[in-house]
Amino acid sequence: MNAWSGQRNGRGSRQRRWQRLAVALVCAWGLLSAGAIVAATPGRHTVVIEGTRFEPETLTVKRGETVMWINKAPFPHTVTAAGVFDSHDIRPNRSWRYKARKRGEYAYSCTLHPNMKGTLKVE
Amino acid sequence: MKSLSIVFASALFLVASGAFAEGAGPTDAQIAHIVVTANQADIDAGKLARSKASNKDVKAFGKQMVTDHTGVNKQATALVKKLKVTPEDNPTSQSLKSGGVENVKHLKTLKGAAFDKAYIDHEVTYHEQVIDAIDKTLIPNAKNAELKALIVKVRPAFVGHLEHAKEIQATLGK
Repeated sequence: MNAWSGQRNGRGSRQRRWQRLAVALVCAWGLLSAGAIVAATPGRHTVVIEGTRFEPETLTVKRGETVMWINKAPFPHTVTAAGVFDSHDIRPNRSWRYKARKRGEYAYSCTLHPNMKGTLKVE
Repeated sequence: MKSLSIVFASALFLVASGAFAEGAGPTDAQIAHIVVTANQADIDAGKLARSKASNKDVKAFGKQMVTDHTGVNKQATALVKKLKVTPEDNPTSQSLKSGGVENVKHLKTLKGAAFDKAYIDHEVTYHEQVIDAIDKTLIPNAKNAELKALIVKVRPAFVGHLEHAKEIQATLGK
C-alpha cells in the first residue's frame, strides 16, 4: 500500500465514519418524527387514531403524565370527555396533547364519530 | 325516494354480482375507480345537505360527509398515484355516478323536513350498500396490499356514518 492509497483509505475511512454518523442521525430523527421515542419515554404516552378507532382504546397513566393523540386517519377527529378535556378538531397527520392532572377514569369519544370511544385512566 | 335508493342499490349489486369481464371480480384499477366514485356521490349529496338541510343534525351530518369522504378520496388518489394505477371506469362506477346525479337532482326538488328525510334515508341505504360491497367484493378482490389496507381502514368510518345516519333518521319522524 503506497502513501496515496493509504491516504485515500484514511480519507475513505473518515468518510465512511461520517456517512455512518449521518445515517445514524437521520434514523434517530426518523424515529423521533414517528413518535417511537416519544411513546417509549417515561411519562409520555401515545394514542393513535386510525381506522376510526383509538389505539389503545383504554390507556392508564400516572397523574402528571402527558398523553398525545396522533390522527393518522384521512379526516378530522376529536378527543372529547365532556367537561374534562376537548381537543376540538384534530386534522389528519396532526396531534393533540393533554397533561393528566387529576385522578379518575375518563370515558371519551370523538364528537364527529360518536361510535369511536376510548377511556383514559389516571392513577 | 325509494326508487332512487333502488337505483343506487342496483349499482352496488353490480359489484356484488360480479358484473365484470372474464367472470372475475373487479381489478384494482376498477376498485380504485369505484372507491373514488362512491365517495364523490356522497360528497355531492353532502354539499347539498350542508347548504339546504333545515334540521341542524342533518346539516352537520352533510358537512361531515363532505369532510370525511373528501379525505378518503384524497388518500385514495394519492395511493393510486403512488402505485401508478390509472383508475378504470366500469359499469358499477357509471351506475354509481348516475345514481348520485339522480339523487342530487331529486333532493333539489325538495325542501324543509321532506328534504331532510329524503337525504338521511338515502344516506342510510348508501352506507348499508357500500359496506356490503366493501365486505363482499372490494376487500376480497383487491390484489394490492396497500389498496386493500386503505379499504379496510376506512370501513369503520362507513359503519360509523351508517349508525350516525340511523340515529338521525330515528329522530326525524318524531
